[in-house]
Amino acid sequence: MTGHLELDGRDVRELGTVGVGERVGVVFQDPSTQLVMERVEDDVAFGLENRGWAVDAMHERVPEVLATVSLVGQERARSRRLSGGQQQRLALAGALAPRPGLLVLDEPTANLDPAGAADLMTTLASIRAERSATVLLIEHRVEEAWQLADAVLALDASGRPIDVGPPDEVAARSVRRLRAAGVWLPAALEPKHRPGPLRGLPDPDRGAGATVVRADAVRYGYDRARPVVRDVTLNARAGERIALVGPNGSGKSTLARLLVGLLRPDHGRVELLGADPARLPPADLARRAGYVFQEPERQFLAQRVKDEVSLGLTAEERARVEPLMDRMGLPLEQFGERSPYRLSGGEQRRLSLACILVRRPAVLVLDEPTFGQDRRGYESLLRILREHLEGGACLIAATHDARFVNDVASRIVELDEGWVAPAAIPA
Amino acid sequence: MIAERVELSDDQLDSPLGRTSPVVKLAVAFGWLAGLALTLHPLPPLILAGVALAAGLVFGGIPPALLVRGLAPLWIAAAGVATFNTLFSTSNSDPSSVALLSLGPLRVSVDAAVNGLALGLRVVAIAAVGAVFTLTTDSTRLADSLVQQLHVSPRFAYGALAAYQAIPRFAEDLTSLRQARRIRGLRGGWHPRLLVGVLVLAIRHGDRMALSMDTRGFGCGPRTFYRQVRWGPLDALVGIDALVILVAALTVGG
Repeated sequence: MTGHLELDGRDVRELGTVGVGERVGVVFQDPSTQLVMERVEDDVAFGLENRGWAVDAMHERVPEVLATVSLVGQERARSRRLSGGQQQRLALAGALAPRPGLLVLDEPTANLDPAGAADLMTTLASIRAERSATVLLIEHRVEEAWQLADAVLALDASGRPIDVGPPDEVAARSVRRLRAAGVWLPAALEPKHRPGPLRGLPDPDRGAGATVVRADAVRYGYDRARPVVRDVTLNARAGERIALVGPNGSGKSTLARLLVGLLRPDHGRVELLGADPARLPPADLARRAGYVFQEPERQFLAQRVKDEVSLGLTAEERARVEPLMDRMGLPLEQFGERSPYRLSGGEQRRLSLACILVRRPAVLVLDEPTFGQDRRGYESLLRILREHLEGGACLIAATHDARFVNDVASRIVELDEGWVAPAAIPA
Repeated sequence: MIAERVELSDDQLDSPLGRTSPVVKLAVAFGWLAGLALTLHPLPPLILAGVALAAGLVFGGIPPALLVRGLAPLWIAAAGVATFNTLFSTSNSDPSSVALLSLGPLRVSVDAAVNGLALGLRVVAIAAVGAVFTLTTDSTRLADSLVQQLHVSPRFAYGALAAYQAIPRFAEDLTSLRQARRIRGLRGGWHPRLLVGVLVLAIRHGDRMALSMDTRGFGCGPRTFYRQVRWGPLDALVGIDALVILVAALTVGG
């Protein structure tokens, strides 16, 4: 590290980890790596205990912070039982409790459904109104964040600043450069008629295209007494683009795994191109369907990027690897030798997609495909998906990304606590 | 059994055993186990197992079904230990021993049967004590009490607590990696790569957890405690009763 970084007028190298920790509260992306204690109020108190707060002061401060993040009444709840949005607000409470001068939030809404993200942003707005701490928010979803900001710092892909200043000034000065660098902008700053990359595709109306996936009254529960997917009936035809939407925990990921035979239903049946996918030999299954996991790290099976993307491919498929990786922004000469775990979140997402897209399966099931993507990654993904769909593939994507749903879906299926919600109007 | 963690109900946590200091319960468990090592008689482990289970049900608020289900694999283990030690005891082939059962070449002496039974019951006792401890002890309270009452290092106690919270995660990691192999056309079953994957994920989770604990000031100086754990009359009562029961059981067993 070169240059000079001061916190409260003191050099950070002088302050050390402890000194910085006393002044800064941090909230990370994934709530499950931030909650230490089993219960809500104990978790809020954890940071205070570590800093040696007096017992009375702690018992005064904990309810105060829980009120700030709207978790009153949940004091004794188990943190793992909270929704993703509540967990993230709890993590925020833990960071806020010791009254840090600086609060850093690293993509805090990335794992949240739209309602959870909106609640978190509302809480941030109220913290901003109090002006009790400087808030540094790192975000891809800028719609709400842009309005809350006093200053915007935009970085390009290599970490160099593009512009810094009050949002209006940055918008006036650099909107073109921001677009060119692939930075997401609030809707008001987007070009009025953005070409929808999938707009030209024929809308597969009902009856056209053969049915490739058939789910009939499918029920599944990790604990049989508590099903997370309940009696779902869903048919998908070749060429269809189905968006599975619904809050965290509504059963989207579980349904997605049932459709490609990674889970076997407790009741009902699934057919994938006429066969039960849970009984297909793996090689046969991989030809018919591809599945991209919500968390890329949980699907990586090799030590190097080039081994990961070539795993189990035929010679013909192998020939597609290089051009695909180039288009995904992960050229093999640059990334091939690297460990999949050492990539950024957005790069990991693109690698996990490449592993599946390279096979061109007839049915593509993607779990949060646009996670952590800047505009450039998003648009190249859409171009690749388009080619694939033109070839008659069927796409089923579980997603929170309203933009993706709007750009891609020909049909929206909403899940709520494992049930299919009444049909929505096609996009 | 590793994959799922039992979540204790308020009934269990607010019961007399739930309110007893986890340190006292740990001491009782270890004291009883040490006591059992002193005897080869089948009665003491039977008494201690019976008392532990009865106390767990009456004073621990443990639902009977949960206790039965939690112990199920251990009944089988205990039966296995008893059978094995009975059949393969050296006293079976000793002609001076009294035969309990003679079936052709198979001869089981009374001594062998008693010893086998005693060893099997010892497994039952250990399992029963362990089950009652886990089913009445909140993990956070255990860590609090280890740190405040036994002066265990907070770094160790809360670090272990964080690791314990992450256990269900490892099972999910494994499931996900196995599914990932299947969807990539690779044969199912076990593959060494799975183990590497689970380990890498565990280490990465640990790193992230440690980073977030550090940013919350963990280990930066002397700590205070939001939830105070103090010794109470209940602790003395449980401790003394447990000692009396142990001595009585050992006396009965001669």
